[in-house]
Amino acid sequence: MSGLLADMVNKEESVFLQKEEGKKLALDRRNLTEGKVNEEYMIREIRTDDKELENFLFSLGCYEGEKITIISALSEMYVLNLKDARYSINRELAEAIII
Amino acid sequence: MKIALAGNPNSGKTTLFNAITGRIEHVGNWAGVTVAKKEGSVKKNLNKTGVSMSVVDLPGAYSISPFTSEESITSRFVISENPDVIINIVDASNLSRSLFFTTQLLELGIPVVVALNKSDLLGKKRTTVDSERLSIELGCPVINTVSTKSRHNGLVELISETAERYGKKQLSPYRGPGANLFDGDSVDAADRDRFRFVNDLVSKIETRKNPSSKQNAQDIADRILADKWLGLPVFALVMWTVFAISQTYAGPFLADLFVGWIDSLYSLVEGLIDGKVSPILQSLLLDGIIGGVGAVVGFLPLIMVLFWLLALLEDSGYMARVALIMDRFFKKVGLSGKSIIPMIISTGCAIPGIMATRTIKNERQRRTTAMLTPFMPCGAKLPVIALFAGVFFKDAAWVGTAMYFTGIGIIIAGSLIVVRITGDRNARSYFIMELPEYRVPGLKRATLSMISRGKAFIIKAGTIILLCNAVVQVMQSFNWKLQIVPEGMENTSILAGLANPFAFLLIPLGFGVWQLAAAAITGFIAKENVVGTLAVVYGITNFIDTEELALVSGGADVASLLGITSVVALSYLVFNLFTPPCFAAIGAMNAEMNSRKWLWAGIGFQLSMGYTAAFLTYQIGTFITTGSPGSGFLPGLLFVSFLIGLIAYLMKRGEREPEVQLQMSL
Repeated sequence: MSGLLADMVNKEESVFLQKEEGKKLALDRRNLTEGKVNEEYMIREIRTDDKELENFLFSLGCYEGEKITIISALSEMYVLNLKDARYSINRELAEAIII
Repeated sequence: MKIALAGNPNSGKTTLFNAITGRIEHVGNWAGVTVAKKEGSVKKNLNKTGVSMSVVDLPGAYSISPFTSEESITSRFVISENPDVIINIVDASNLSRSLFFTTQLLELGIPVVVALNKSDLLGKKRTTVDSERLSIELGCPVINTVSTKSRHNGLVELISETAERYGKKQLSPYRGPGANLFDGDSVDAADRDRFRFVNDLVSKIETRKNPSSKQNAQDIADRILADKWLGLPVFALVMWTVFAISQTYAGPFLADLFVGWIDSLYSLVEGLIDGKVSPILQSLLLDGIIGGVGAVVGFLPLIMVLFWLLALLEDSGYMARVALIMDRFFKKVGLSGKSIIPMIISTGCAIPGIMATRTIKNERQRRTTAMLTPFMPCGAKLPVIALFAGVFFKDAAWVGTAMYFTGIGIIIAGSLIVVRITGDRNARSYFIMELPEYRVPGLKRATLSMISRGKAFIIKAGTIILLCNAVVQVMQSFNWKLQIVPEGMENTSILAGLANPFAFLLIPLGFGVWQLAAAAITGFIAKENVVGTLAVVYGITNFIDTEELALVSGGADVASLLGITSVVALSYLVFNLFTPPCFAAIGAMNAEMNSRKWLWAGIGFQLSMGYTAAFLTYQIGTFITTGSPGSGFLPGLLFVSFLIGLIAYLMKRGEREPEVQLQMSL
């Protein structure tokens, strides 16, 4: 009996933990528009169906595992530092970069 | 031997190309100025080998895998044309990205020499690069260069090292895991491994006291110049300054001096030949050639000052910021922020402007920009504007300003129409542009660029425009029976005969006379011809005063000679500015659009736009000034309504199901 109860508690706990984990994951998976200026982030994913865009970003060094810093956010544009160069990208592209 | 210059965009390839060949190819401080390969040969004082060295400047590329059209030119050339040596230009302040391409070039087996360019900027950034170590690690010579300097720039060493490497083998320092080229994932993995190799290499040879991710003075400047609210007024101020200096202050001042010389030439030649040659030859030489060409050349100083200022602007790094500011607005009309760069360049000349559209990767946006950018009044249209402003509007500055704003208005309307016809209205697009560093624009470079453009203008005046004026002069001197046209019978001339059918179509625009029609037609060969032909057909030899930009014989006199009202003059000006550009620019449109359908649609749109704008100007203007519509109102209205209806139909047809799609617009 007590074993069953303990099981139930355990189960609840694990569900709770899973939920927490999920929240944490969601928190981790932010896109660039949710990032802070002057903070260095690691790119986790480029979320796009456009292979050409992905390839092009890759040749600039924008791919998962690389570091990226938001230098400023201006008029719907983000200025980034990526591999010692500055780029401006628009909101649509910033949303595709998961950090 | 054949040398290829390859490297990332905006690493300074063309500047280096110009420095080693002595050519004056167009340079600018943003990524993607060079869109086609350019060839030249190394200057004698740099080339000590005695063997002639030809150099090919290639468009910038980030990778040898062809992702963009410029990159495919580059990779195709490097692979198929087998250059003897590749000079890889590397921006010394951006090794971690640039060396990716370098390692790819090193694998081709062709000897590579690395030019570590912009090496003068390293000190300021408190960065040191161990170029000797880099040379050992890469297995190829690495030379520090500063191609913007004229001395101690490392170019002598670069060329001698290049000659030294001729015929040698090149080993690659990087051994990749070997990718299956038909399998995307395998290529990805291989490329990631390559970047890892480059990152390791950079950490060995580069020390940065200031990490690039820290804010610097440039970023503060960006925050002001590309600010959401401040950006636009700053841009407006910059452009106003460019036009005010070239068209109101320095330009006209220089033009005064210049026209004085042309006048003296006229009098000199007149004195020399007066009475000694046949009157036909005399009028051909004086009125046709010196008068016609002189009327055009008189505007050269204005145009050169404009080109000089635009070159300074292009060199400063500001253009990329303008693209950034404008994207917000251009996105709304279906264009990219990058469309502004071709438009600014087109205020100088539409041909490089249209070519600059190649940095826009989205095909529809690129074609639309190439189709609309000629609506920006170009340098060749300045004489036409200045002439009409001077003759009919007492040099009122608002005429020129109004023409630029009309151009912008037409571009906005045009892009809204095109985006609806193509049915891409709901497409959202990605935008990415490298922000080059600001720098103090090089006066020497701007001057060289101005001289080369000025030279092209003079050559054009001395060839095409001279020929046109001579032909126009001959055609109006003879009738169809090849007899000299008697005085007062000008309507029987060949020119009148050819131009009359066109003049008929122009009646609803207010200028259905053969002289004006002929001038508008010759304008398609070169827009300066409008002024040249008017000078010839009305026998006006000088449009510019030596004192100010008014007419030598008094504004009113020329106005009465042309016999048209101010409203007609404005309508004629509008027509000439907003019809299709000159043939050379149409050729550039054809090259960039790469589609017959788009080209003809573009020309058709430009013709309809010019006709409609001139019709509205004339009819509304006439109604306001006289209280009744102008001549040919009804047929004109029918025709214009037909054009508008056609465009409305195409727009309606283009409206498809709204599908939100993201498209690349790099």
